[in-house]
Amino acid sequence: MRGLHALAWRGLRARTLRSVLTMSGVALGVAVLFAGIATDAGIEASVDRTVEGLVGRADLRVAAFGEAGLSPATVEAISATPGVAVAAPAFERRTYLGLDRFGPGDALPAPVTVVGIDPSAELRLHDLTLASGAHLTRLDEPSALVGATLARSDDLVLGSELTIQGPAAPTTVRVVGILAEDDPYAGPTGRAVVMPLTTAQAAFDASGFTRVDVGIAPGTAPSVVVEALEGSLLEEPYVLSSPRELGLAMRASTGDFAATTALIAAVALFAGAFLIFNTLSMTVVERVRELGLLRAAGATRSQVASFILVQAVVIGAVGSTIGIVSGIALATGMAAWIGTVGDVALPGPVVTPEGVLAAFAMGMAVTLAAALEPARQAGRIPPVEALKSRMDLPAARRARLRWLVAVFLLVGVFGLLIWPRAAGDAGLIRALAVYAALLVVALCVPFLLPFLTRVAGLPFIPVARLEERLARASVLRDRGRAAMTVSALTVGLAMIVALGGVGQHARAAAGAWIADVVPGDVLLTSIFPRTVDEGLDDILSELPGVASISPIASFDLAIDGVRVDGAAMVGSDLASDGRFHLVSGERSAALAAIDAGGSVIVPATVAERDGLAVGDELDGTTTNGSVVVLRIVGIAERTLPGDGGEAFVVGWPDAAQLGVAGADAYAVRFAPDADAAARETLADEARSLALDPVPLGRIQGVIGAALDRVFGLFDALALVAIVVAALGIVNTLTMNVFERVREIGVLRAAGMTRRQVWRSVVVEAGVTGGIGAICGIAAGLLIGALMVVLAGGRPDVAIGVPWLSVAVALVFGIGLAMLAAAYPARLAARVSIVRAVGYE
Amino acid sequence: MTALLDAPTSAAEPTAAPILQARDLTKSYPLGETTVHALRGVSLSVAAGEFVALMGPSGSGKSTLLHLLGGLDLPTSGEVELAGEVISRLSDDRATRLRRDRTGFVFQSFNLIPLLDVTENIALPFTIAGQDPSRGELAARLGDMIELVDLLGKEHHRPDQLSHGEQQRVAVARALVTGPALLFADEPTGNLDYTTGNEILDALWRSCHERGQTIVLVTHDAKAAAYADRVLVVGDGRIRDTIELGRRADHDATVLIGRLAQLGL
Repeated sequence: MRGLHALAWRGLRARTLRSVLTMSGVALGVAVLFAGIATDAGIEASVDRTVEGLVGRADLRVAAFGEAGLSPATVEAISATPGVAVAAPAFERRTYLGLDRFGPGDALPAPVTVVGIDPSAELRLHDLTLASGAHLTRLDEPSALVGATLARSDDLVLGSELTIQGPAAPTTVRVVGILAEDDPYAGPTGRAVVMPLTTAQAAFDASGFTRVDVGIAPGTAPSVVVEALEGSLLEEPYVLSSPRELGLAMRASTGDFAATTALIAAVALFAGAFLIFNTLSMTVVERVRELGLLRAAGATRSQVASFILVQAVVIGAVGSTIGIVSGIALATGMAAWIGTVGDVALPGPVVTPEGVLAAFAMGMAVTLAAALEPARQAGRIPPVEALKSRMDLPAARRARLRWLVAVFLLVGVFGLLIWPRAAGDAGLIRALAVYAALLVVALCVPFLLPFLTRVAGLPFIPVARLEERLARASVLRDRGRAAMTVSALTVGLAMIVALGGVGQHARAAAGAWIADVVPGDVLLTSIFPRTVDEGLDDILSELPGVASISPIASFDLAIDGVRVDGAAMVGSDLASDGRFHLVSGERSAALAAIDAGGSVIVPATVAERDGLAVGDELDGTTTNGSVVVLRIVGIAERTLPGDGGEAFVVGWPDAAQLGVAGADAYAVRFAPDADAAARETLADEARSLALDPVPLGRIQGVIGAALDRVFGLFDALALVAIVVAALGIVNTLTMNVFERVREIGVLRAAGMTRRQVWRSVVVEAGVTGGIGAICGIAAGLLIGALMVVLAGGRPDVAIGVPWLSVAVALVFGIGLAMLAAAYPARLAARVSIVRAVGYE
Repeated sequence: MTALLDAPTSAAEPTAAPILQARDLTKSYPLGETTVHALRGVSLSVAAGEFVALMGPSGSGKSTLLHLLGGLDLPTSGEVELAGEVISRLSDDRATRLRRDRTGFVFQSFNLIPLLDVTENIALPFTIAGQDPSRGELAARLGDMIELVDLLGKEHHRPDQLSHGEQQRVAVARALVTGPALLFADEPTGNLDYTTGNEILDALWRSCHERGQTIVLVTHDAKAAAYADRVLVVGDGRIRDTIELGRRADHDATVLIGRLAQLGL
């Protein structure tokens, strides 16, 4: 046996280039997989860190609904609840620092988050590590701690004075401490100002609390405290959450990313499996006589099969190891490129032993699975083959569909085992559907091959008629092998086109969404609510070129005791703007009804999910605990985006009852004749009123850019699958050249120039690439549409053809394939005629 | 050492002008640490319309000589002049074109392109030259060739649907279809039974006798060589003897076998 193993090793070394290509294929597939695993682990770690930063050692968090916050009575009730050891109330607002230093026309500075805390309670649950200075001690001192980033950007040192701009008079506090660089309390931006609770509330003229973090007494079960809290907090709405739930919510926002990365990794590995299968089959065909001799000399079937399997083990082990190392580099690049995934900052990949093991095991499993069929073929070679002058091994030539299905299923099952939990069930179902669709496409390829070969050859006929004819015949000579090569390319290209389609739809849907639900061209946003008393509507509407001003507020709404996103809008503004579509209910009547009060317009997604219809009545809980009955007057195709979905739209009379203090955005519609100067005047005036002017185009642009970044990354990963497929093409064509040496010799003897021979191999690659591109583009368009539909994409935004992705697929499919042909084509052109015609 | 054994009876007899000349050809191959001298200085001349056979035992260098004469390989020294052009002075592309336009090859193992059918295999030299063999004069010539090698009705068969004899006839037709100045045949009957081999030789002889085709045939079989006008006996990398048989319709090998026996072959 040892001798056979040595023979297997020598077999790999004898075809160094082919072995290296195959290992590269495995390495690339594993690299994408491991990059995904390490990135997911990085996301997990980042989520854990963020949650820890948010809640520290608290076991539960009671968060307020709306601007007014939790009342002191509620905080007292929490403290008095049995099992509660610590109740740390806090008050949070966003504002700007030193607005007095900014003149009209200056861009607004980055906002800061002011957090008011009870130092004695808060420090029992949160560490608040300081880089310098001292902690807060009293509830009402004019002192503050600042985040390290803020201290650096605003030149704050111990003793510096800070002016907090509240709704009324400014409040001045002295910096007594600077938070450590990595203290999570400063939030993701590091721009936090931590003040004593009473001082902070006074600065914003407020009496409520944003949240209360709860520490549970040792020995008490959290569920007992939760039950007790639910029994005692009946006065006003609140959201009760645990660190685990916060983590889940954050992970949900990264689910799609994790699911897509995992899917692309599966596709890359699948393409790698084709490469391994073809390479090892090639080894069997080439060594048929040698293997027959071994059988004649007494080697058993399993010994001969192990000859192939040993090669597979070496290929798998080396490829997987290289893949894991490259995967770390790839993941680091991904993290740098993407920055944040959902709500979670992604500082870098995290390498875990389980991740390394999973990637290695997957690489080995795919390699061995791909090697099983060639190994079986090798074992079945009859000894008499060794005696034949010419070798023909039909079994080795016919690639089997059942093998394809088996490997596909194996990659799928293994993928399920290491499926990122962040992706969730919906992500899993989507990925499985796409994966199954790819399998169906791969299975269809062999049947479509004759037709597709003819079509893919058409572009070559005018320039290389004979080469096209030979290439076409050569592709069809071994349909199984051609189908394998094409399928690998097809799945990679299909992913590029599908992702292009999904990305395009997402951009179009996001753009259309924003444009449809905002009655204006520019959105003026505020970081704190602006009350009617401020008279901003009047000031802004008098500016030249301004046709209409419409106030908008986003808030938390408790409907039948469940938190949902709410939005307050002016119905008549939406009525005159004409782009807010209802799928149910009469539009003008519905919009008039929300202005009148007691009415709500529900987003179609929620209505469909919860079975809501026009005429249904919902109970909205107000901040003081009373109930407002809201009658559904319309179902909107879509409404304003909120934190967890689309918002329930109410009019301002109901919003006031529901505790909305004021508008946090104004939609401004310009008159058709408004010039650039008018826009500039509005922007200057807005800034002077602490409003940040954001043109809708910019919002759409920002969304588009974010999507571009994510989809760009996915494209890059899918490209890896195509590179793997291209390596497969090099292998297949090389195999074809070796098998056709004599034929090439005859062609040369009959007068074919070296250039013509070279061209015929390149054209064959072009035809193969063309078939892959045709299948890949067709499958990609279908799969893209499938992904959009499964993700609940907007039915009204047409799923268009992503022309750029189609062009990329075409160029990469055909171009990369022809490039991959360079080496085998050179081999073919160099064939010695004399040797070739005598070649057996 | 020459002998005129039979009076020429042909319609198309060889003319005096040489179409192929070899001057002092040598060919050496490195083999491990030694060098094999396959040819050690061969000079010969073939007249247009002549049927010449190269005979000799295995390893005598006859196939190597044919490869050099046909431009499939380059000599270590010496030169081959084919239809007025010295092959070794041509670029690979020009040599290839010369081969395509002025020569035809028939090999022992048929060497057809399995992907192409009978007509396509025969038309290969035209297709390689970028011509459309399905029209006009070329189509007529194809039809003529298929008729010559008696493959009517099998135009669209693939090589694996043909017998060995039929495959070799396709190879002959392909070699002749361009009307080459020279046809090289390397053991064309080596893989065929006696009757089928004779059919091929008859076809070659007819093309020479009736159409004036110049033929250089490599064989180790005296019966095949007896179709030739002249037999060059190759041995040990040199031409050891020239046997003039003349153009004869009966292809009787008795005299040749006798001569060869005198030479110890």
